[in-house]
Amino acid sequence: MSSEYYFILAAALFCIGLAVIITKKNAVMVLMGVELVLNAANINFVAVNKNNLVSLDGQFFALFVIVMAAAEAAVGLAIILKLFKYYKTTELDKINQLKG
Amino acid sequence: MINPADLLEPLAWSQSTILCLLVLLLPLFSFIVIAILPNTQAKASAWVGMFMTLIASIISVHLLIAGWQGAGIHSRVEWFSFGHLPPFTVGVLLNDPALLMLVVVTVISFLVHLFSTAYMAGDAGYKKYFGFLGLFTFSMLGIILADNVLVIFIFWELVGLSSYLLISHWNHKESAIKAAKKAFIVNRVGDVGFIIGLAILWSQFNTLDLEALKVLMQASTIENGQWIAGAHSVSLPWLTAAGICLFLGAMGKSAQFPLQVWLPDAMEGPTPVSALIHAATMVAAGVYLMARVFPLMSIDALTFVAIIGSVTAFMGAIAALAQHDIKKVLAFSTISQLGYMLMGMGVGAYDAALFHLFTHAFFKACLFLSAGAIIHALHDYAHRADIHFDAQDMRNMGGLRKYLPFTFIAYLVSTLALIGIPFFSGYLSKDALLSGAYAWADLMSERTLSWHYLVPDLGFITVVLTALYMVRQLLLVFFGDFRIADERSIEANIKVKDVPWVMKTALSILALMSFGFIWSLNPLNHSLSWFLSALKTPTILVPGMNGNWQNNLVELAEHNHMQVTVISVFMIVIGGLVAWFIYRPKGKYAINYFSRQGASNVWQWLSFNNWYLDEIYNDFIIQPIEVLSQKLQLLDTKVIDNFIDKFAIFNIILGHLTAWVDRNIVDGLVNFSVYFVGRVGLMTKSMQGGKVQSYIALAFVGILIFIFWIIW
Repeated sequence: MSSEYYFILAAALFCIGLAVIITKKNAVMVLMGVELVLNAANINFVAVNKNNLVSLDGQFFALFVIVMAAAEAAVGLAIILKLFKYYKTTELDKINQLKG
Repeated sequence: MINPADLLEPLAWSQSTILCLLVLLLPLFSFIVIAILPNTQAKASAWVGMFMTLIASIISVHLLIAGWQGAGIHSRVEWFSFGHLPPFTVGVLLNDPALLMLVVVTVISFLVHLFSTAYMAGDAGYKKYFGFLGLFTFSMLGIILADNVLVIFIFWELVGLSSYLLISHWNHKESAIKAAKKAFIVNRVGDVGFIIGLAILWSQFNTLDLEALKVLMQASTIENGQWIAGAHSVSLPWLTAAGICLFLGAMGKSAQFPLQVWLPDAMEGPTPVSALIHAATMVAAGVYLMARVFPLMSIDALTFVAIIGSVTAFMGAIAALAQHDIKKVLAFSTISQLGYMLMGMGVGAYDAALFHLFTHAFFKACLFLSAGAIIHALHDYAHRADIHFDAQDMRNMGGLRKYLPFTFIAYLVSTLALIGIPFFSGYLSKDALLSGAYAWADLMSERTLSWHYLVPDLGFITVVLTALYMVRQLLLVFFGDFRIADERSIEANIKVKDVPWVMKTALSILALMSFGFIWSLNPLNHSLSWFLSALKTPTILVPGMNGNWQNNLVELAEHNHMQVTVISVFMIVIGGLVAWFIYRPKGKYAINYFSRQGASNVWQWLSFNNWYLDEIYNDFIIQPIEVLSQKLQLLDTKVIDNFIDKFAIFNIILGHLTAWVDRNIVDGLVNFSVYFVGRVGLMTKSMQGGKVQSYIALAFVGILIFIFWIIW
């Protein structure tokens, strides 16, 4: 099977993730979108390294990203918790104190 | 070469210097005290003035006795210095003429104060009058004592000011105000000359100290028509110009032709003021100035002085002939006598001129105070008889010797002194003057017929005229009938009352000084006078001067003395007889005198109007200047104002134009940039929405753009 299907899948996944990040009101949903974008990257890593029979660098990097994503989710959720405590909401449209 | 700075070292003060300063400052102190006194204390002001001048006269008499024929006193201090020029000094220079002047001024000032207490009694300006008398005495003493020509000039102006203030004493009278202004302005003309003279001396010698000037003048030389003094050199005529310019100052103050017009008008002031200022002291300041700068005068300058002096003597005597105002006669007589003095200075008879100054000061002050006494008595008479008439007009007088015997005697004595009868003071001084003038004419013309003889000849003619106008006045005032009483038929029991004793005291002292034996042990020969034998004529120090000139003059004067005496006595007799013949009581002139109008023929009008000098000045100076100033005013309003108006209008139009440009173009530009920046701000502001997601979307777009830019 040719690699380009993986790339198309990854690109589709990235676009869906980006769309979720930009459009969703809820901060938790935005964090979920971020996970999608990260997994799109993971697919790319694995797909690129598919034909390499010598090393498993791509797969390892994917695993590394998954670990990092777990950490990122923990930090992100903690920030969202703090935001909720302060603003009593997680809706990003309402958290706009930096408005010029 | 002499360094001027070496000549200007400060000189020590002695006890006499302090006394001189005391004499100088006492009248000033009197002026200040009187100025501070309240108006209710008018009587006290007279006492203050009298007391101060009495002390000043006692001190000056003491100084005279102690310092007479001594070495003189010269004390000075440095006043200021500037640049690399020699320092400017100021001090006291007291020699024999200054000592005598000091006594004359303080004594006459005291007597005038004394006289004025009676004369000015009840006057509204009583306090002011005595204050200004003090100021005058102070300034006059300043002229006498100063050792520096510039300081003399300062006091010279102060004297002019106090004269102005005293002439306009009755400042509700239009004529008095005009006379005061005239005196001031005419004096200014002379003072301009004085300043120019000072400027010439300063530019040549860099100092105005009299003693230093003498040394420097002697050291200066004449080479190839250049007058060289140290590093300075100018062409020779400036040497004479300096002398003539200094004399111009004296011409103004001493009322010499052609500036004599102010003195007759100055008689508008109170009569004691006329006696003090306009007869005895201030007008003699010009003669005194000439005496101070005598060594600096070149022969040509002195000749100019002699000519002006003799012409003035003659013109004044002519003008005195036809006057009807008792004070005007005396004023013109003063002009004439001052002319004599300056003629004396001009002909090199320095001592005789000063001698005449002193004798004249006493007898003329006596004449004026006697006139004041007559006026005072007639005012009193008019008040009691309840009539109004001009108390100074001789047409209203006559026969007054019966009512005012004491005044008559004083008047007679001083008149005899004035016309120069032997045994009276005027005889001695006038004889000395005329001998000097005659000797000068002999010397200058080298005994050939020349115009130089006109100077003594005018002097001799003036002797006749003096006898004529003084005997006329004596006859018209004191002899004949009391005209106003006869004409207005006043009751015989109302009589002219005699004057108070204070007036008589002043008169008697002054009359005593008019006798010849006071001035000379032999009242017939002036050369034996203690005065003339004591006074040394200073040597003229001008370069290029023939050293024998002055000695020759003295010799010739001694030689011709007898001739001159005989001629002048002869002249007096002629004048007196003619006067008696014309103006004798019960004569044609005396009988018709009351109704006489001004004058009756051209010559009398010429005399009555003082040679029409006022009219000449009016037509040739005042009118042209007024016309010129009117024309200039027209030029100002029509041309210059017009031009300025046009210029202003142009400016306003220009202003409107720039305002339009400012509002529409400059403001438009600024407004546009503000609007533009505002719009841009609004646009960019919308990007900073505070929405995290839009930031991300924009960042993503940005990255995309970046990537595409790199790929292509």
